[in-house]
Amino acid sequence: MKSDYYDLVVVGTGFASSFFLKKYLKKAPQNSKVLVLERGHFFPHDERLKVKRGEKSSFKKFEEPWEKAINNLSPYKKWPFTTGLGGCSNCWWGCTPRFMPSDFKMKTLYGIEQDWPIDYNDLDPYYYEAEELMHVSGPNGTPFPRNGNYPLPPHEFSLVDKVLHKTYGNKYISQPTARASRATMGRNRCMTSSTCDTCPVNAKFTIENSNIGVYEDPRIELIYGAQVYSLETANDVVKKVKFIQDGVEQVAAGEVVVLGANPFFNSNILMNAGDKSPFLGKGVGEQLGMQVLIYLDGMSNVGGSTWVNANGYMLYDGAHRKDYAACLMEVSNAPYYIRLERGKYLNIASIRLLFEDIPLEANYINTTSNRLVPDVHHVKRSDYTLKGIENMKKQLPEILSCLPVEKLEYLPPFPNEGHIIGGTRMSSDPKLGVVDKHMIHHKYRNLFVIGAGAFTTYSASNPTLTLSAMSLFAADKIF
Amino acid sequence: MNRRKFLVLTGVATGAVIIPASVYFITGSVSEYAVLIIKKQLDYLKLEHGSVEQYVNDYFHNSNNAVMRMKWKSIYYLNISWERSNTLMELIKNFLLSTDFFINKMDESKVVKYLGLYSPYKSPVPNPFAYTLYPPGEVPNP
Repeated sequence: MKSDYYDLVVVGTGFASSFFLKKYLKKAPQNSKVLVLERGHFFPHDERLKVKRGEKSSFKKFEEPWEKAINNLSPYKKWPFTTGLGGCSNCWWGCTPRFMPSDFKMKTLYGIEQDWPIDYNDLDPYYYEAEELMHVSGPNGTPFPRNGNYPLPPHEFSLVDKVLHKTYGNKYISQPTARASRATMGRNRCMTSSTCDTCPVNAKFTIENSNIGVYEDPRIELIYGAQVYSLETANDVVKKVKFIQDGVEQVAAGEVVVLGANPFFNSNILMNAGDKSPFLGKGVGEQLGMQVLIYLDGMSNVGGSTWVNANGYMLYDGAHRKDYAACLMEVSNAPYYIRLERGKYLNIASIRLLFEDIPLEANYINTTSNRLVPDVHHVKRSDYTLKGIENMKKQLPEILSCLPVEKLEYLPPFPNEGHIIGGTRMSSDPKLGVVDKHMIHHKYRNLFVIGAGAFTTYSASNPTLTLSAMSLFAADKIF
Repeated sequence: MNRRKFLVLTGVATGAVIIPASVYFITGSVSEYAVLIIKKQLDYLKLEHGSVEQYVNDYFHNSNNAVMRMKWKSIYYLNISWERSNTLMELIKNFLLSTDFFINKMDESKVVKYLGLYSPYKSPVPNPFAYTLYPPGEVPNP
């Protein structure tokens, strides 16, 4: 390390940290000193592509299997994530819908769990800013309040999309996405390649291709291979960040500390530091996703233009959320679902149904004898979510009656959605959460704990845009 | 549950017990049986000579053990169709995705040519549903 003391020490380089830093650097003095500790390494997109093609890459050694980074105790769950510069921006699929305003007020509107200490209006300007930074492609007219055009035009509808949009208007839209619909800012146009985790044509926004200028800023010192495991505190102030690099114990001291690792590691670090917040590590989970195949009679589902081509909100908002979960429909443009009956090859649509879940105390993170590797317990889904599935099965045939449906086939739930949520939930009342509305720890007031771990409730929508907007909001309000 | 469905659901180990004895004595590799199956299932298409063989060779690269041989032999001799076997369905789906069949807009009058194993990272075959094959002007408005 170049300094003994930093103005800001940030853990992690994923969306939450990078967007926080983007705003912080805009406001901080030119002589600021910022230390960023990244668990992984820089594994460039070009090298990731080589690995995907089965070619040799000297960077392959930097791949860290998620199964070894945590101790997953659930037989039915998987928690894939990526470490290294950019974190999960390297493996996300680029889905960027905003949350619905109701997602922030689950207690007031539906009597479910708790309201967030922030609402849609608080985040609204930061949603725009995050969408601009990611060059999101999207439509004019959305189910959530939004004015004007997205930075890039929407992706093209398929025929099935057109029928559903005609029937449901703004409840069925081209998905807002960070997969570029036009070449932009060094990214290529999405060629609907059928995979996004490492985009074959570099159309998806990542921290590496973002051009947001964070890690090139001379005020930043970035250290790779730094596995943070605890904090040193005194009188409710975080003094130092403890980490291991190349097997050597190290500490970094700073005025303000930001934990921007994923929710598993943020909770683990706090627990190792002796944090006794009653909700710390509790309520970890994510949405439940399952696929329905829609066999069409005489309709070829062609013309779509990206992996998740559209979002349907017909099962999302409403009084039903008092009793069961909202569902976001993600319409996949997936080649793997072609049919084999002669002449019907493309007469099929597939929709991934994302059901919100709620934070259950039975699903939690805990420390282990290995301070770098937390236990992750996920023992069940909520009844709220399971009732949502039953309701969907009753309603979907009617919702899809505008299409010539031959039959519906439901596939089993997926083991993961790639949306790790909870563990450091946000609350107004310190007794009901770990961080406040600016994601500052209720007890350690010089500590931010950012990312989806801070979500009070899960929503049915993909979390990345919202957690990015929350980082911009927090850094803007505090610095 | 009928006998064939039972075979399909339980897989090779059980199938080996109840497959007609003659099957055991018929020689042949995994590839040979897979080629025969694809050609039989897609007999209404004009398949370029050698395309199916090359595809199968790539698909089963280094997969010619006794269990695999029995599995594909069983599928062929028991006349199991893709509707009854997910394994078979995947083999045939992947074949069509690996050819120019969708590039030619599923025109059955054209010869179907293998282009390389379907992979978004390596092969030249586009997503068959996509705007790259069906630009907006070709998609009707409802």
